[in-house]
Amino acid sequence: MVVLLVVPMLQNIYYSFFEWDGLGKPVLVGLRNFVALFQDKVLGGSMLNTVIWVGFTLVFPVLGGLLIAVFVTGVKGENFFKSIFFIPLTISFVATGTIWTYMFSRELGVLNGIFKLIGLPLKLSWLTSVPLNTFSMLLAWTWQQLGTNMVMFLMGLATIPSDPVEACLMDGANGWQTFVHVKFPMLAPVTTVVITMAMVNGFKVFDIIYVMTRGGPYQSSETLAVSMFRETFTLFHMGYGAAISVLLSVIVIVISAAYIRRMTRRDLLYY
Amino acid sequence: MTGTRILRIVPLYIVLVALCAVWLLPVLSTTLVSLKDPKDFVSQKFYQPPVRIYFLENLRKVLNEYKLNAHFINSLIYALAGGAVAIATASMAGFSIVRLKPKLNFILFLIIYSGTLFPFQMYLIPVYRLFNVLGLYDTRTGMILIYSAICIPFSLFVYRGFYTTIPREIEEAARLDGCGPVRSFVSIFLPQSLAPTAVVALFQMTWIWNDLLFGMVLSRTQHVRPIMVALATMTGYGGGNIPWIMTGVVFTSVPTVLLFILLRRFFIQGMTLSIST
Repeated sequence: MVVLLVVPMLQNIYYSFFEWDGLGKPVLVGLRNFVALFQDKVLGGSMLNTVIWVGFTLVFPVLGGLLIAVFVTGVKGENFFKSIFFIPLTISFVATGTIWTYMFSRELGVLNGIFKLIGLPLKLSWLTSVPLNTFSMLLAWTWQQLGTNMVMFLMGLATIPSDPVEACLMDGANGWQTFVHVKFPMLAPVTTVVITMAMVNGFKVFDIIYVMTRGGPYQSSETLAVSMFRETFTLFHMGYGAAISVLLSVIVIVISAAYIRRMTRRDLLYY
Repeated sequence: MTGTRILRIVPLYIVLVALCAVWLLPVLSTTLVSLKDPKDFVSQKFYQPPVRIYFLENLRKVLNEYKLNAHFINSLIYALAGGAVAIATASMAGFSIVRLKPKLNFILFLIIYSGTLFPFQMYLIPVYRLFNVLGLYDTRTGMILIYSAICIPFSLFVYRGFYTTIPREIEEAARLDGCGPVRSFVSIFLPQSLAPTAVVALFQMTWIWNDLLFGMVLSRTQHVRPIMVALATMTGYGGGNIPWIMTGVVFTSVPTVLLFILLRRFFIQGMTLSIST
């Protein structure tokens, strides 16, 4: 365990200070890799894309998941609706990417097919035109991720006791007021977890992009994780790749700080 | 009263049904395409039914040409072995942490964190190098090793959470009757561990099955590469033959979809665990 996970982590930080092609002798370059990180134009684009991914993840899969969880509760056919949003969750990112590659295909794809069917004179290159390709992939991402968040919010909603909600309704509050003032605050612990997870996953996204565009055309749709992979295993810039992964990890640690604090505090209670 | 209710319910239904249609569209289109003869697919519209059911022919083609069956076996081995190693190690480690209380809180936390939230990119280069040095690169042993290592943290987290709910009195009574820690683990903790074991098995086996990154970096040949890498390379060549690829998608997704349907109860339990902490 420690050998396979903790030691590599430290080793990786160590590598990030070297220039190394994976075969020859590593050359110590100090912080030059990190300086290069911020001067690299491709990487700048990749950071921008990563931010778009994270922002979009918070709006669509997370907020969407919350809305569906709230509105689907108590509706006739609740279980039917829930299981439909649940389906994509059982499918891997690779399969999701593959399925949507077909949906988005320019000549034979379903989406352009629908446009033609309803008479829209649109034939989009969903995956090859910038910046549309990033948003196309985000659609696939939303399709896959929404169910997870919906399930978590549903479980959070189920744990809310009915007394305060009823009291609030009795006092004449409408559904919206009850939600904002009673349910949403009580949902806060779940919301924290969901948001943390969603942001972390947004930062780490790799599979879907790799399958759908390989980060292209011309690295235009890369995120940090994809850039790291390309630098390391296609160009064999091991030191530089390590530096990107260190940057990515630092971001993830900062994002999940609130979550970590709760986890460690709970541990202190146990001992 | 009923009038306003209908006014509110009807738009809600329209939105829900529309969304469900969007969500179902990819699943239905994929299934439909996998049934079609590639020759018919090119000349047909996307919504037209297949001229004849061609799924088995497509499947045969996919298995022969892309050797998906070989990769299927690989991934099955990884999922079973990795899951088993993770379960064995984590259940024992979870027990010793909860009952024997070693003073390694921070390291424990680091281990759990390293396998759950941390970006895997952080391990890729050192593990890649280590595997090359040790001769584990492109071997099944190596793949099982790395998958188990990644799975143990989450499993440990699940077992530890579960064991803290077992009342201490039971164990103390056992100790009075002469039970050592090993005996009490085997006869008190293990028999009650069905639920966490199912949670771990479901989540970790699905994760191993669906992994792309480690498979791509740490393996090269058909005898070792896991299934998702094979599926990802199928699409690599400018789209390829869509009915075959979609047959591949169906073929590779069936195990996880089935697992989820069968173990749905445990899926909900696992999710509860991850938010209740």
